[in-house]
Amino acid sequence: MSVIEHPLRKFTRPHVKKTTTCPGCGNGIVAQAILRSIDELGLNMDDFVFVSGIGCSAWIPSPLFAADTLHTTHGRPVAFATGVKLGRPESNVMVASGDGDLTAIGGNHLIHAARRNIDLTVVLVNNGIYGMTGGQAAPTTPRGLTTITSPYGSMEHALNISEMITAAGAPYVARWTTFHPRQLARSIKKGIQKKGFALIEAVSQCPVQFGRASKIGKAVNMLQHFKDNSIRVSKAAEMSEAELQGKIIVGEFADKEKVELSSQWIELSKQMMEEESCHVKS
Amino acid sequence: MSGITIFKNTCKGVEDCGICIFVCPKDVYEPSEEMNELGYVPPRVAHEDACNVCMNCMISCPDMAIVVDKKKDKVKT
Amino acid sequence: MSKDNRLPPGTHFMMGNFALAEGAVAAGCNFVAGYPITPASEIVNRLSVLLPPIGGGFLQTEDEISAICSAIGASWSGAKAMTATSGPGISLMQENIGFAAATETPLVIVDVQRMGPSTGVPSVGLAGDVIQVARGSHGDYQIIALSPESPQEMFDMVIRAFNLAETYRVPVFVMPEAFTGHMREQVVIPDPSEIKLTSRKISEPGTDPLSRQDFQDPDVAAMPVFGHGFKSHVTSSCHDAHGMRNLSDPTTMHNFITKPIEKILKHRDDIVETTADYNEGDIVLMAYGSVSRSAKAAATIARKEGLNVGTLSLKTLWPLADREMAAAAQKASRVIVLENNTGQLFPYIKAETAEFCPVDFMGPKILGQIHDPAQVLSFIKEKVS
Repeated sequence: MSVIEHPLRKFTRPHVKKTTTCPGCGNGIVAQAILRSIDELGLNMDDFVFVSGIGCSAWIPSPLFAADTLHTTHGRPVAFATGVKLGRPESNVMVASGDGDLTAIGGNHLIHAARRNIDLTVVLVNNGIYGMTGGQAAPTTPRGLTTITSPYGSMEHALNISEMITAAGAPYVARWTTFHPRQLARSIKKGIQKKGFALIEAVSQCPVQFGRASKIGKAVNMLQHFKDNSIRVSKAAEMSEAELQGKIIVGEFADKEKVELSSQWIELSKQMMEEESCHVKS
Repeated sequence: MSGITIFKNTCKGVEDCGICIFVCPKDVYEPSEEMNELGYVPPRVAHEDACNVCMNCMISCPDMAIVVDKKKDKVKT
Repeated sequence: MSKDNRLPPGTHFMMGNFALAEGAVAAGCNFVAGYPITPASEIVNRLSVLLPPIGGGFLQTEDEISAICSAIGASWSGAKAMTATSGPGISLMQENIGFAAATETPLVIVDVQRMGPSTGVPSVGLAGDVIQVARGSHGDYQIIALSPESPQEMFDMVIRAFNLAETYRVPVFVMPEAFTGHMREQVVIPDPSEIKLTSRKISEPGTDPLSRQDFQDPDVAAMPVFGHGFKSHVTSSCHDAHGMRNLSDPTTMHNFITKPIEKILKHRDDIVETTADYNEGDIVLMAYGSVSRSAKAAATIARKEGLNVGTLSLKTLWPLADREMAAAAQKASRVIVLENNTGQLFPYIKAETAEFCPVDFMGPKILGQIHDPAQVLSFIKEKVS
């Protein structure tokens, strides 16, 4: 009788037997969705470079994934990933990091990567809070929530990440929750295949910080909350702002073709190396 | 032979996780009576024959602690 | 203009920043990320023209932090990467300078220094970043910094910078001031066959991290660049020699800090460069960058007047030319340190030399102007009387 192993363990480092996530944390669901998408596309981990920042979600690829991994400073994975991609355009470059990392300190890099349409797949795990550092308010924390830095209730409005990045011009933007792992994997696959900037926002449970702060509670309660409050994009279009309060709009926000940055550089260099001379455009 | 394998020492327990129990449409799982090496209580397969190989548990387990054999016999409902 | 837009070998008259851009391409640079900043912008402007015809990557980033991060990312993809900025940009880059040091990333960072603090005077030179480049990031680490005094040296030293970065897997700074960056002078571009280039050692194919040493070898570990199936794990967290994060073992923590430092200091004789022109009993003028020119001019005038004055020019700022300074001080009757700032390197020089002879500091009469050789001469005469 052969020893049974989880089929996705072929993609993980053999010496990393367990993850350090809290019981019930959604990060593992997202990690599995990423590995499933790679498997279903018939790709190899060596075709990828994974880049992550600082925060619980940044531990999705590091050290679990058996692939080239770049674990950067806080907020900067998209900037590092841009260089990784331009340095070796044939790599599939994927960023996996959290909402604080990618939209607070890293917000500027995220916006510009989307704007310049560099071929990256960004899996942004949105748990609405800063989990690793003890539960501080994040740009995605709902207004009114009491956290360790908003003890009188957050007075700020939460950022709609997918909407912002769609407005920045990204050719593929999707949002799902960890209650939708199949759709999540499908969108990640589409993101990998899209020649251009792809953002997949994965709304995920942090039972220890957000679950407690919101009083929603444990992981399964948070998944129930995601199930009860998810509204598809097409349905949301028919609802009023008041009706959409507290709802999570899921689905695809953008899916189009748009000329990508690294391929333009390759094309330009190719043209110039073939030409007689290289006059700059006047 | 079971078509469902639980890696008990990788599991983070039914008390604070228990996502497998939550996503299973057929009540296949129940909390077990034991603790793993980290003190978590893993689930046990209580109603194997009820499993319809939907794979929800395997896909949703954050710790990749469950494997469901796709070729496992399904109960026709 | 040649097919690839580069200036051909031969004698040219050009601006320092321009010469540095030409030198970078001669060095094999094939990725530049930068953000506009006076007085360094010309470097990145010129490289945006030079890189595409040679298949190089160019990125004008949204800020300096993105510039250094994308340069580091490109380096890990195998590119010879560079960024160019000035003092305020270096300040923004500090966290990731530490990243490059801790992950042993080959990188060239050009700092065309300008007057600070803060926004200061963008187009006036001041050697304001001498300490910042070495100690501006938190923690203990060791970088290399080169100090050119002319457009010719900007061309030559950027090539040296790339070779050192590739040899030692470390960030290497090239630090002209605004004067040198914007001054126009003769630059001789050698034939490419005369330029010796070094490239990083790359890891053995078919190996995995736990069987390789990817980091913390004082004789420089082979680099597991991305895209070769090395499954490298690169993190700025404390890590072991395989790149795996370890935040609990004291020896790992100790090595994380000390081994990369040892890697540079062990090879300091290969790295440190000075130009010495002094004799026994001389007053030795120690200087670097554009102030070296004033020092040499002052020494020439002094000797004509029968005074025994010599010079020690520091071509590398870091690692510190400690032995060279001490050797000069042992022979000298006096050491005078000339810097175009309020004395950034002076305490370090004094620490190496004060036990042997008196040591003085002389700034320019007006900061932001390089020392008038006549004023240096007056200072010398005052000290000897």
